[in-house]
Amino acid sequence: MGRTLGSEKFLWEVDELDQRLLEIGEMVVKRAEELGANQAEAYVAASRSFTIDVESNAIKSASEKRDAGCGVRSVVKKGGIGFAYVTTIQDEDLFEAAAKSVKLAKVSVPDPDFVTLPSYSGNYPTVTNLFDPAIKRLSSEEAAELIMRTVDATNEAVDAEQTAVEAQLNTFAGTVAIVNSLGISGSVEAASMFINSSPTIKDNNDQTSSYEFQVSRNLKSIDPEWVGSTAGRNAVNNLGGRTIEGGDMPVILTPLVVRSIIGGGFGGAINAEEIQYGRSYISDALGESIASEKLSIMDDSHIAGGIGSRPFDAEGVPTQRTQILHGGVLKNILHNSYSANKDHVENTGNASRPSYSGLPSISPSNLVIDPGKGTLDDLVSEIKKGILFMYTGDRPNMTTGDLSAMVMEGQYIKDGSIEHSVKNTLVGINMRDLLQRVHRVGADVRVTSTAVTPSIVVESARVTSG
Amino acid sequence: MEDAAKAAIEAVLKVGAKFADVRIENSTTTIIELSDGVTKRSLASRLKGAGIRAFIDGAWAFGQATDMTPKGMRETGESVARLALATRSRVAKRFEIDGPSFQDKVRLKVKKPVQDITFEDKIAFAKMIDDQARDFDGRVHNTRTVYGDLWTELYIANSLGTSVHLENTLPTIVSITTAKDGANRQRGYKLVSTRGGFEELEMERPQHIGEESAKLAVDLLSSIVAKGGTYDVVLDPVLNGVMIHEAFGHASEADNWPAHTTILEDKVGKMVGPEHLNLTDDPTLPGMRGSFEYDWEGTKTRKRTLVKDGFLTELLHSLETSVLLDMESNGAARAQSFMYPPLPRMSNTFMEPGDWNADELISDTNEGLLLCGFNYGYTDPSKGQFMFQANYGYLIENGELTKIVRDVSMAGQILGVLAKIDAIGKDFSLESGTCEKSGQAVPEMAGGPHARIREIPVGGG
Repeated sequence: MGRTLGSEKFLWEVDELDQRLLEIGEMVVKRAEELGANQAEAYVAASRSFTIDVESNAIKSASEKRDAGCGVRSVVKKGGIGFAYVTTIQDEDLFEAAAKSVKLAKVSVPDPDFVTLPSYSGNYPTVTNLFDPAIKRLSSEEAAELIMRTVDATNEAVDAEQTAVEAQLNTFAGTVAIVNSLGISGSVEAASMFINSSPTIKDNNDQTSSYEFQVSRNLKSIDPEWVGSTAGRNAVNNLGGRTIEGGDMPVILTPLVVRSIIGGGFGGAINAEEIQYGRSYISDALGESIASEKLSIMDDSHIAGGIGSRPFDAEGVPTQRTQILHGGVLKNILHNSYSANKDHVENTGNASRPSYSGLPSISPSNLVIDPGKGTLDDLVSEIKKGILFMYTGDRPNMTTGDLSAMVMEGQYIKDGSIEHSVKNTLVGINMRDLLQRVHRVGADVRVTSTAVTPSIVVESARVTSG
Repeated sequence: MEDAAKAAIEAVLKVGAKFADVRIENSTTTIIELSDGVTKRSLASRLKGAGIRAFIDGAWAFGQATDMTPKGMRETGESVARLALATRSRVAKRFEIDGPSFQDKVRLKVKKPVQDITFEDKIAFAKMIDDQARDFDGRVHNTRTVYGDLWTELYIANSLGTSVHLENTLPTIVSITTAKDGANRQRGYKLVSTRGGFEELEMERPQHIGEESAKLAVDLLSSIVAKGGTYDVVLDPVLNGVMIHEAFGHASEADNWPAHTTILEDKVGKMVGPEHLNLTDDPTLPGMRGSFEYDWEGTKTRKRTLVKDGFLTELLHSLETSVLLDMESNGAARAQSFMYPPLPRMSNTFMEPGDWNADELISDTNEGLLLCGFNYGYTDPSKGQFMFQANYGYLIENGELTKIVRDVSMAGQILGVLAKIDAIGKDFSLESGTCEKSGQAVPEMAGGPHARIREIPVGGG
């Protein structure tokens, strides 16, 4: 009974916030129009984020942030565009932002390729499971309990002289409203949760670490024991790192590496605006075979509970599912309203922005790589001499496609089994070659924030170690 | 502002926490981005709010407030203090925050405050740079110019009695040029960012930065990809700075000690590199992007000698780490904005010059690479592993520079690479950058002289 009451109260609060942000948006758009904007857009967001940090196996700090702000985009008759944002939603600050955006628009050098802000008046697609009230309701005690279970699981998986676990839990719940002069008016509430564990271990004068995380829009799917034990086990496996004899050899990219290299390094290259400017290593390739036929990739903003899922993009344009690669052929690239108008093509609804504080750019929603067959063990067993590449912070040069990635975590494979972890080792390959040389795709699919992917095997890459 | 901070601090202590601090920020930024001569982004913003921390028995809590009335500050203060009290039973170690307190009002002296420069003038400057890059060569395919300024007014107070007003201004100009020759595309990236007024961008180098990036992009059209392998490498001052920053600076941030996440943990007072190695972090240098008078906890800052004659002598401290490690505080705690709690961070970090001429360093290196400029770098101090990527460089063959190479990555172990530095140049310069840690970006600079590292793994195609 108490629970029902609580949830009613909660829903009432949510409706109120949605409505309030839309009203603010309308007010700001109106103010910008009064000051001389021909078209205006407001992006209003309010959120609560709660974080607990663990250091050396114990809770170190907690923080609660309530953030609310507004970004205003104004277009004047001559075509100039201005943008201003403010980190509050108080009237005087909102009006200052509206005035600044109009003033900037008036003095900007108009972009002849800019046509208009987007318009839309239909219904948005239904995207489910974006908001789990249980995440918003999670108390600080429950959060502390969850993160300490993660730490305990990490320690249980490690048998070393010294283990210091860093870990973090973060919950986020927020509402976004977008309003413009051309009829766009949308709001959405979403919540997400993130936990990670990073143990640093010392044993026999050797020191190493690892990192594992889970992110979800559903509290129940968070598994602190899995995160902790995986991080612990991987750290132990990282002990005893050695250099290897370099050369050209096959490399297995596990999902966390695919996330960086394909998710970031290919996801960024199919950005239509970058392609239009000739700044992407993928240009003039639409309809051509640019990758191995084993590789099929979809940008899917409608996955239920997907981290990158959204009913409308950061300009209020309805989202869709867009096939990027099919059998190695580049089928589509990603657009926002500006790049689509410039190329006179359909907008794929991939406008994105960090929050109210930025202008719309273009990014994938959820990049989904079609799985093939086999477990990670199967993939390892098929390799005579190669690298199991498990973690990197690197990304390719987006203009040339050259990639030189440090193996932050990885194992040396010999005769189908893992020999030892590697250190001081780099993998070098151009992205165009990497895409063509994917000769095996596994079935071990994992959700890694906005990339949903199995492991993939690159037939041959240059490995340097020393 | 003092009243708002006082209300929050009193509220925190009243609930039962033992230490409280408050940062109240009012910042404005302008960002103007042009591409191919037209405006792509004209952005103005205002950041306004307060960050409040409470501490008891080793437990920290943090919260932010945008309602800065005494009532709003009191409420946030109380809720932050309650959060600290709720977690105090789960901490690893009980201790107290103590340290010196400071009272000061620092104004930054500038000739042309960025707030007084019109949007028109800022756009005109960016347009001039963008045109300059495009007009440089027929092979220039795309130009991109970003003008930015950040003006910050910050007030810091804590329950030890600190009350410090600060002001900062960081003007920046970036030029990114893409050159194209057939299917070959290359990118040149150059930036100047300093501390001061708009007049800083009227100096020689920022006024010609469009040409500088265009020249690099065009030069890179004839570059080759260096073959992966182990090389003797001469680093230019920019890249040397990146190496020091990534390979050593992060590992010397003292919050790694209580967390047991640095391979330098047992090395304080011990030898970590050759005896000709001296590494410094100095936030007191005038006009530098990484400089400040007081850190974001209100502690007066000073020069830190991280490595002296090869020995690790000093770390980068916050109030907390100086208590926990029983070392003198040195004002290194910084936050990206009021929305974040301060952490120990670098400022202007560099290798002190040695006694080699830069030319001799190259001629003395029979076969190897001279590597210049940087794309990016990162490190994991708990593994002691780092990597950084040069923007471009040259092959050294028979002691002479020959072909231009691009995007060369180097990886190594922190302690391993310092031992391999065998020759240090006499020259010196610093390059501006932005450093990211725990989701917070802060302005910094890094540099030093030319220096040589023997036998380091270099990645290529």
